[in-house]
Amino acid sequence: MGSEIFIIIPVYNEAAVIAQTLHEVMKTGHKIIVVDDGSSDGTGAIVKTFPVYYLRHHVNIGQGAALQTGMDFAKRHDAAAVVHFDADGQHRASDIGKLLKLVLEDGYDVVFGSRFLQHQPVNMPFTRRIFLKLARYVNWLFTGILLTDAHNGLRALSYQAIYLIRFSENRMAHASEILSQIRDYELRYCEVPVTIDYTAYSRNKGQSLWNSINIIFDLLFKKINR
Amino acid sequence: MKLIQLILIIGLLLILISYFRWFRSAVMDKLLIAAIMVAGIVLVVFPNVTTRLASWLGVGRGADLVFYLFIVAFCYLILLVYAKIKKLEQQLAELARRQALMDAQSPSTPA
Repeated sequence: MGSEIFIIIPVYNEAAVIAQTLHEVMKTGHKIIVVDDGSSDGTGAIVKTFPVYYLRHHVNIGQGAALQTGMDFAKRHDAAAVVHFDADGQHRASDIGKLLKLVLEDGYDVVFGSRFLQHQPVNMPFTRRIFLKLARYVNWLFTGILLTDAHNGLRALSYQAIYLIRFSENRMAHASEILSQIRDYELRYCEVPVTIDYTAYSRNKGQSLWNSINIIFDLLFKKINR
Repeated sequence: MKLIQLILIIGLLLILISYFRWFRSAVMDKLLIAAIMVAGIVLVVFPNVTTRLASWLGVGRGADLVFYLFIVAFCYLILLVYAKIKKLEQQLAELARRQALMDAQSPSTPA
């Protein structure tokens, strides 16, 4: 059933903040797998100075693909559980512990962090809030699962989940894809409140409206293209 | 828009979707492309075909019928290309992943 815990951090061009993120996550003491998804801004050189596992896609494939690569690596290294963690500093390393506890002690297969469960998010742009509220219903339409936070990259997966779940969506639709797989495999899941920090840096990124149209189209397309 | 036009377009799009869902194969794809080409040639050589077909269907001018069929053929071709792109992206991801796993670096100092 595995014996190692890995924090998987997919990263694409985050040279400005990746060092900070790695410092924070290292405080948890867990092993870290960084998957560099074709960064061209020197992110890789920075990551290699840290005591982490470093994998690199030579071209940019997408966050879903980077996470899957990280999970394939974890599988080969006796993983018992993994945590997905964003590279841009929006997630808090201090939340990792409570996600892992639910997986390792309470038997959940997938634990999702939710920014809407407990406290109101810090500095969250209004449009983003509306957008995420809508997104959770789109997910529910496609998968039958209604979460409170549609697009939180902070997740923990159990041994079973690591081996059953496979991201075929390379880009950002993995957040929806994981839900339909949870339903298909009847995995146990839950949400826990986590804190998302919207700094000026991360405000400029984030899911644009165009990207969500992409995601919806891909989900529809998968339905008709068998 | 007349009812017959709507029915035609919806009906043809449904045929298109069911084809993608259940009946696709590489051979069928090529045959359909060939069929579209041949139909195009036939219509150029025998322009009256569309006029008679259109009045039989109650659509209007032959040109209108060609237009509706063209909409469907266009959607089909676009979806075909998109499916191919998705397939290629998956293969690309698999290759990048294989390379990444092969070249993986362990922590230089204990974590």
